[in-house]
Amino acid sequence: MTQIFLRRPLVVLVALALVGGATALAADQPRKGGVLKIGNLGEPPSLDPHWGTQTITEVLSNHLYESLYSLDASYRPIPMLAEALPQVSPDGLTYTIKLRQGIKFHNGKEMTSDDVVPSIKRWSQRAAYGKALFAQVADFKAVDKSTVQFKLKEKSAIVAISLAIPNAFAAIYPKEIAEKFPPDQRITEFVGTGPFKLAEWKPDQYIRMVRYDGYKPRSEPASGYGGAKIVYLDELRWIPVPDAASRAAQVESGDLDFADDLVADAYDRLKANANVQPIIVKPYYWLVAVFNKKEGLMTNQKLRQAWQAALDIEPIMKTVAGGKSEFYRMDSSLAFQELPTWHTKIAGLPWNERNKDKAKRLLKEAGYTGQPIRFMTTQEYKWMYDFALVTKQQLEDVGFVIDLQVMDWSTLGQRRVQPKEYDVFTTGMGNFFDPTHHIYLTPNWPGWTSDEEFATINAQLARETDPKKRYALWEQQTKIFYDKVPVARYGDLFGLRAARKTVKGFNDKVERPRFWGVWLEK
Amino acid sequence: MTAGAPAPAEPDVADAAVRPEAITAAPAATTTTRARWRRPLARNRNVLVGTTLLIVFVLAAIFAGALATHNPTRLDPGARLRPPSAQHYFGTDEFGRDVYSLVLYGSRVSLLVGGVTMLLTSAGGVVIGLAAGFYRRLDLLIMRVTDGLMAFPAILLAIAFMAARGPGVWNVILALSIVYMPRTALLIRSTVLSVRELDYVQAARSLGRPDLGIACRHILPNCLAPLLVQGTFIFAYAILAEAILGFLGVGVPPYVPSWGNVISSGKNVIREAFWVSLFPGLALTVAGLSLNLLGDGLRDVLDPRLRVRQ
Amino acid sequence: MTAYLLRRILAVIPVMLVVVTVVFLLVHLIPGDPASAMLGPDATPAQIEATRRQFGLDRPIWEQLLNFYGRVLQGDLGHSYFLNRPVTGVLWERAEPTLLLTFSALLVAIAIGVPSGIVAGAYPGSLADRVLMLGALLGVCIPGFWLSLNFVYFFAVKLAWLPAAGYSSLLVDPWAALRFMVLPAVSLGFNQSALIARIARSCMLEVLQQDYIRTARAKGLREGVVIYLHAFRNALVPVVTVIGITMAILIGGAVVTEIVFNIPGLGRLVISAILRRDYPVVQGVVLVTAAAYVLINLAVDMLYAFIDPRIRYD
Repeated sequence: MTQIFLRRPLVVLVALALVGGATALAADQPRKGGVLKIGNLGEPPSLDPHWGTQTITEVLSNHLYESLYSLDASYRPIPMLAEALPQVSPDGLTYTIKLRQGIKFHNGKEMTSDDVVPSIKRWSQRAAYGKALFAQVADFKAVDKSTVQFKLKEKSAIVAISLAIPNAFAAIYPKEIAEKFPPDQRITEFVGTGPFKLAEWKPDQYIRMVRYDGYKPRSEPASGYGGAKIVYLDELRWIPVPDAASRAAQVESGDLDFADDLVADAYDRLKANANVQPIIVKPYYWLVAVFNKKEGLMTNQKLRQAWQAALDIEPIMKTVAGGKSEFYRMDSSLAFQELPTWHTKIAGLPWNERNKDKAKRLLKEAGYTGQPIRFMTTQEYKWMYDFALVTKQQLEDVGFVIDLQVMDWSTLGQRRVQPKEYDVFTTGMGNFFDPTHHIYLTPNWPGWTSDEEFATINAQLARETDPKKRYALWEQQTKIFYDKVPVARYGDLFGLRAARKTVKGFNDKVERPRFWGVWLEK
Repeated sequence: MTAGAPAPAEPDVADAAVRPEAITAAPAATTTTRARWRRPLARNRNVLVGTTLLIVFVLAAIFAGALATHNPTRLDPGARLRPPSAQHYFGTDEFGRDVYSLVLYGSRVSLLVGGVTMLLTSAGGVVIGLAAGFYRRLDLLIMRVTDGLMAFPAILLAIAFMAARGPGVWNVILALSIVYMPRTALLIRSTVLSVRELDYVQAARSLGRPDLGIACRHILPNCLAPLLVQGTFIFAYAILAEAILGFLGVGVPPYVPSWGNVISSGKNVIREAFWVSLFPGLALTVAGLSLNLLGDGLRDVLDPRLRVRQ
Repeated sequence: MTAYLLRRILAVIPVMLVVVTVVFLLVHLIPGDPASAMLGPDATPAQIEATRRQFGLDRPIWEQLLNFYGRVLQGDLGHSYFLNRPVTGVLWERAEPTLLLTFSALLVAIAIGVPSGIVAGAYPGSLADRVLMLGALLGVCIPGFWLSLNFVYFFAVKLAWLPAAGYSSLLVDPWAALRFMVLPAVSLGFNQSALIARIARSCMLEVLQQDYIRTARAKGLREGVVIYLHAFRNALVPVVTVIGITMAILIGGAVVTEIVFNIPGLGRLVISAILRRDYPVVQGVVLVTAAAYVLINLAVDMLYAFIDPRIRYD
């Protein structure tokens, strides 16, 4: 008799433990359903990734469309709509890519090479990375319904990576859409193969994407931007909230579940809130001042070197990061630490020298007599305005005369392509996944870096396939960069995101947000 | 606090309360001498308080250099967002700039914009109003254009104008002058219309006296009083409008000390540092107060038509 | 009377013509080419040229202006460059928040202004009068946008009673809509309430001097009856006309309020349209706003004509 009594509390305890364990497990189990409300910086100019490089277009369209390849957690190309990495011929001039079978577009149509070829061709005519790749391509065509082939003019290191990058990417559209809209017109019909499909777009109010139940995920586990994309949410609702402080406040109040591009000042408050998890985004942007090397004062290399020498970067980064050291990093490499393949650790570079005497000497050697230098910036990206203002003061302390011109981002974008309009402008660079993708080292991007040395090494990089040799070339390129100073490199800025604690499964290791694998806890 | 006739927040309401067209009675007294006004002006409480505050405002602007404790444009990233203290009376902003010095120097921009706008609108309004009052055919054209311009909410017109011209103090002044000039023109026109019918004016015209002479001798003196009253209110609206434009980012360049700019930068950090927006806003309120009081008082004394019995 | 009304209505036409012309010219004065703005910095000159032709931007300005007149008459306000939809549709969607804001602010202005003015006017010189008129003076002088910021700081951040920003449609969730509207409506309406209070007070004073009031008092009617039955109703008349003007002013003030509180109305739309060089939308919003202004003024004039017969024979 006593044994039964003794056993009871034990049984109860064990039962409780089991139940507790089961509940704990259940809490970690993804729950299907729910609407995720995401706060955006603003309205995307388009949902056509071939068409523009804006980050907001990139983030949104990566949920609707896919390309042949994607990037894994180490930023290497992995297959997405392709079956596997390209089969390369022994002479390195033919790349054969087999497509996956049974992939259906949102409208039910099956994807074949008939869709892939016109899509990639359209991309090649409009997107910068597409143009760069196709400069090496002699011919691109379909071999059969599920195979496409590139024939190259010369050996290339950039085929797979160009088709894998997430920004301005080679999204695969149905043939009818790819052929209906010429490259300089934005598409107005949105049909892709991605895990979400577009349900409703009310400009300036919201964009609704719903789970695409016909999506066939890859068998590999999720990694980086690729692998299996499992969707638990019913709907993503992207809501434009232009003011960063409002975005943060709405996550705190629960009106939004997630918000991106917040200001570092909000971090302490978000951390203190029991319902919110702030996420520090590494990497985010590295800050640059781009010089006009086609016309005007900054065509003078000594003047650019003087600018670089005068900068005391740490206080600038501190200001931009709202005084918080968690939000910036001092680094001279032209590739982020998070991209170990290309990160450089070269000592003795003239970065952050904060040498006022050297700057003054260079100014004199440059023959500078106090002419105002037109420096364009914008308040729409607060960090740009911040670093411009502190720069102006530091430079004026050594004898520069800076004419700071503040305008809206759209105007800045238009003026920065006109050589007569400015001398310097502010911007930030994201991740470049291949050394040939660094647009500020090319002659066609604003600033017009047409120096022969950069072009030569870029061409070599495009052709060279041995990774060690490529890295050595890249180090060489970096050294030349710090001598010629096509742009002035500041530090790395980290971003701030915020999510309600009910948002689970978010991958915070990638640069830009993706919402597959995410679920909402009750 | 005695309130005479209602003080409008926008000139339109002044017209609504007492519409120029509605005045069918004879116009105010003929040419007046300044001496007659001195006593009542000095005794009116609104005028006294308003003028005193205005003088404080003007002195602060003129002597900003001496009164300021720091260079308002000097950034000091190490001292950002400090609360008010003995070192920084009004605290510091997100770049470590001293808010007290910013407010002092900001008064210069406000004074400049308000004052010049008032002068330009008065001068322009007189010219246009006279032309409209004297010449029938011009009148029709001018009236349509001014009615059309006044159909736009002032701020919207100013914003669109600033977007067209770009930032800068003189662009702001130009934008605001264009926005407010129709109102002054209307006022002058109505005075002209009413005075024009008087016997001695008609006599002068029939004698062949030149229009300009009639304008100067008989009409302008009658305009001075309402012009002054309305000018004071336009000064007030201009200061406010400049601050709104600065707040929206379409006024003077953001690194130039101006009340609107400081309030705007304070908006971003209001949770952490509410003092940045607080003090320039107070300054704006006091400046507005001084001008509104002055305007009220002037109207009570100078323009009995518009006064309503106590 | 009808002649006056007819003349007044016809007078609106040339005014609207001026309005439409000014709107068009103003927008085209804004520097920056909408085609390059749309295509972004990577566009080639050939692509920009093609887009310009697509939107008729390469025609001489006279032709564009005449086209504009024609289209406006037909009710076609054009096609938004950025949003890729007809402007009329965009305006329709964004009108609701602005209308809600403007009407709420008007209600606040009346609710605060009328009683204050009536009470102050009924008891001139009293403590109540002084306090109320001081409040009214401050209401005129305090900048609306600064008041908004202070409200946000106190009520949303410090006390957390109300949300700091945002909007919810009345049709979707009326309770939430109300919560979101309180701070914006009060900060926008406070300014105008001061105005209404002062006018109400003046009118009340004037009315109370009238003979029939003295008669009512002599008859022995209680003061309360005198004030609220007789004086009140007569004093209200000019106040009603001022309310019409207030409406028009609120439309302008709504722009800043919408930005501070992130309300997706016409005000916020016009600012982003200016930044994006979306000419048709800027034209559409400014046109509609000006038209509303003109119509409101017309209505007020008509009302005035009914009330004050002297005006009709202008």
